[in-house]
Amino acid sequence: MPKALVSLISLCLAVRFLGGGQEVPAGTGSTPLKYEIWVELDDQAKILRGREEIVWKNTTSEAVSDMWFHLYWNAFKNEKSALFEESREESLLGIKTEKGGWGWIDLRRIVLADGTDLRPTLEFMTPDEPRHPEDQTVARVRFPAPLQPGEEAHLKIEFESKIPRPVLRTGYYRDSYFIAQWFPKPGVYQEGRGWNCHQYHLNSEFFADFATFIVHITVPARFVVGASGRQVRTVSSQDGKTITTTFVQDRIHDFAWTADPAFIRLERDFIADLEVTPEEYLEVAAKLGLPPESIRLPNIKMILLIRPEHRSQIERHFKALRAAIKYYGLWYGPYPYETITMVDPPFRTESGGMEYPTLFTAGTGIMTDRKVLNPEGVIIHEFGHGYWYGLVANNEFEEAWLDEGINTYSTGKVLAQAYGAGMFSPSVFGFPLAKIFNFPVYYDYELDRLGAILVAERDPITNPSWRFLSRTTYGLNVYQRASACLHTLERLLGENLMLRIMRMFQMRYRFRHPETGDFIAVVNEVSGRDMTWYFDEFFFSTLNFDYGIASFRTNKKKNLARGIFDRNGSKGEITEKDARKPRGEAADRESGEREERQDEMFLTRVVLRRFGEARIGGGFEIRLRVVFEDGTEDFKFWDGQSRWAKFVFERPSPAAVVEIDPERIWLIDSNLANNSRKTKPSRAGIFRLAAKAIFWVQNSLHFLSALS
Amino acid sequence: MEILIALSRGFQTAGKKTRLLLYLWLVYFLFSLFIAAPLCALLEKDFSRSVLGETIFRGSDLLWIGDLLYQYQNLGPSFPFVLFPLAVAFFALHIFLNGGLIGRLAAEKENVRWPGFLRDAGKYFGRFSRVFFLSLFVYALVFGILGRLISAPFNLWMKNAQTGWGIFWASTLRFLIFLLLFSCLKMFFDYVKIRLVVEDSRKALRTSLSTFRFLKAGFFRAWMLFLLVGLVFLAVTGIYLLIAKGFPKSGTGSLFLAHLWEQTFIAARLWITMLFFSSEYHFLKSRLAHFGNRTIEEK
Repeated sequence: MPKALVSLISLCLAVRFLGGGQEVPAGTGSTPLKYEIWVELDDQAKILRGREEIVWKNTTSEAVSDMWFHLYWNAFKNEKSALFEESREESLLGIKTEKGGWGWIDLRRIVLADGTDLRPTLEFMTPDEPRHPEDQTVARVRFPAPLQPGEEAHLKIEFESKIPRPVLRTGYYRDSYFIAQWFPKPGVYQEGRGWNCHQYHLNSEFFADFATFIVHITVPARFVVGASGRQVRTVSSQDGKTITTTFVQDRIHDFAWTADPAFIRLERDFIADLEVTPEEYLEVAAKLGLPPESIRLPNIKMILLIRPEHRSQIERHFKALRAAIKYYGLWYGPYPYETITMVDPPFRTESGGMEYPTLFTAGTGIMTDRKVLNPEGVIIHEFGHGYWYGLVANNEFEEAWLDEGINTYSTGKVLAQAYGAGMFSPSVFGFPLAKIFNFPVYYDYELDRLGAILVAERDPITNPSWRFLSRTTYGLNVYQRASACLHTLERLLGENLMLRIMRMFQMRYRFRHPETGDFIAVVNEVSGRDMTWYFDEFFFSTLNFDYGIASFRTNKKKNLARGIFDRNGSKGEITEKDARKPRGEAADRESGEREERQDEMFLTRVVLRRFGEARIGGGFEIRLRVVFEDGTEDFKFWDGQSRWAKFVFERPSPAAVVEIDPERIWLIDSNLANNSRKTKPSRAGIFRLAAKAIFWVQNSLHFLSALS
Repeated sequence: MEILIALSRGFQTAGKKTRLLLYLWLVYFLFSLFIAAPLCALLEKDFSRSVLGETIFRGSDLLWIGDLLYQYQNLGPSFPFVLFPLAVAFFALHIFLNGGLIGRLAAEKENVRWPGFLRDAGKYFGRFSRVFFLSLFVYALVFGILGRLISAPFNLWMKNAQTGWGIFWASTLRFLIFLLLFSCLKMFFDYVKIRLVVEDSRKALRTSLSTFRFLKAGFFRAWMLFLLVGLVFLAVTGIYLLIAKGFPKSGTGSLFLAHLWEQTFIAARLWITMLFFSSEYHFLKSRLAHFGNRTIEEK
């Protein structure tokens, strides 16, 4: 093939890819951190005894004189920790610990490879405001000499941890364990800023560097163990009383494990060729603007650890996981690890619904109903975290929405695609009432919008997690409001463009630590428009978005104005009666000249208002649709900058309905009811609801009557 | 046999006095309408002229529910202040209705007429009110103290549960025991009220004591009768749910039928209330006739 032709084809391909969702290689550099951990579970004393070897490389251009560690379990040590002090300010959503349920972690020994003892330099740090001076969840040690750029620190640590009773998804119940945030973990050193190592807060999750993990877990032989990473070997002790299982994984930033003698362990394969049809590859590739071969999915080993009482739900678990691997993979990028471990959380360890690299906990009940998407919802959500928290590893302390919000948004998309709408499910003693009653069905975006509008004016989405007004506003903002804002963004930009944005963000920032600014930059780059205003308005502010119809009138047009008019040298009065006459006859009075009688005309006046403080920007407009009684329609656009805008339509028919945003692009609008106005009320729905309300009140009264 | 005869007579009496059912249904409907009216007014104000309002007809939708919650989120804290007086008003109304209901059921040979119903309702209101306060005291005492004792082993069971099934069974059994306990107390106060009517007594406390002695003599029979009527209630509820689930969710005709079915169920529930009282009345009467009032009290 001539060289010029090759160049031309290459250029065309490049242009095509730039026009679509350009795949950019993710961070590929080696991880600056390596762990090898040996840990033994003392099942009687509920204690972990561990050794840890850490290699940390200074990849910055600064000399580093110390090292900061997370000692998360000290948050459960006493009520003076930041976590418990913050919890005290919460009413129902605070945490409590029973007698004997406390947990802690002690650094028994910390030395450098050359034997230098760093233990005497250890001190607890409280970097966050407001201060909790007795918090012990962050510690630092000083190096004898600053670590120069490119140098490595080799540390040997011995630690002992008391496993707490279940608290914040870690702990034990009887002989079931879920062990998370359990080892001394260095913070993230950021050039120009130093160690980013926040205390363990009630509302915060985590942040760490990507690392290579080799972890040897020793437990009594009767336990079934599951953990992050690949299980490479299991060795029994000489006396047969314990087993040691080794797990290995590159490029993950946390490591969790679980042990329970009751677990049933199952393995299945996600075989991409069986799960995704060629047509599906073509369809998604077209949406993404990528060649189909570039979005092919790998095969993955799926591991399920499930409790025997949930045995009947094994297929539901795998089906949901396959859907998650498929759609997250197709839309946002292939899953990059060989295994994924799904844990049905040990009974009463309160560890359900949580994500860790290559492992997540789901959670289900003893009885389920097919119409209720549980455990499917939680499986898809927690697997999805593996993409955002796991791969696009943002700082969850500082910008939780980048994980929670994006993942809530993407969970809703995957769930809707794979399962459709789900049903609400109240349950009594574990029995889902959906088996007896019909409850409303909903899509996640509807639920997100509900949460979003309730907290729009409380906190900005981008607040650091421990600075939200309460746990509720934290949760509703970073999960639901962020998700609802992303759904609105999708409706503004279009589904395909949004898909390209999400994929670009995922692929560009895999194995990195992006911030909100990086996400905005990707949105701007892929959409080709400056969407910064959108994030200023909805992510960095507490502004309520509410555009609506302020007033709407449609009347027969008066043919003449009332008053005294000079005509043919004399003055004549046009009265109300004259004004209402048909045009020809009235004009005859006014002008003295007979005109042809014309058809009646109607004036429709619509006043739109911006009721909330948030406003549309970036050249976007809000659309006004007017439907007339003769079936015709008219449209106007408003930039929404001022407080109000008035539109007048002159048509031969009165208006029947006026509506703004008829496509419901602005999902984040807190009052959708005022987006439209009809001339004739329709009460069928209200009667229906009233009849339902009366029925439920009658039922309640009848129950109440048993007391009298 | 005695139980079945009482039940059969109860069916006959409740079947004959259908006008009572009409009164009860009407009062329940109007009271419910009074409570539901503000909600309807809010919906009328915010949704009747909105396109979003059309979705209400199609069923529950989180978009309009969201709007409703958002607009009236500040009303939440005032709910208890509204609900409490409503509950008090309902109790007062129901005590009043009970007087009319039992009074007319006991007047076996008389036709049910509105004046007679109101006369009985007024006549027994004071006595039944005293029974109501006494019952509240007894409920609080039994469920407050005995309830804790009963709960203790179940709490232990739940605490030591190994799986969710342990919690399910412990909770269900505890609930069942509380329900049976409640049925005993409810039955007791039913008989107190019936006895007050039958004996035309004004002494609520004394009648309660004599009812206690009466039930001591034939507790299990009385309770079986109560539980049999309870089974009728369960059967009716089951039939209602089975059919209600099958109704189409859209279409004016099917929605109308669904609402009609709901009201039929309410009427059936109210009729079962009548059945409780009428079968208990016949049971009491047959026992009194058989043993003689004094004999029972002496026993």
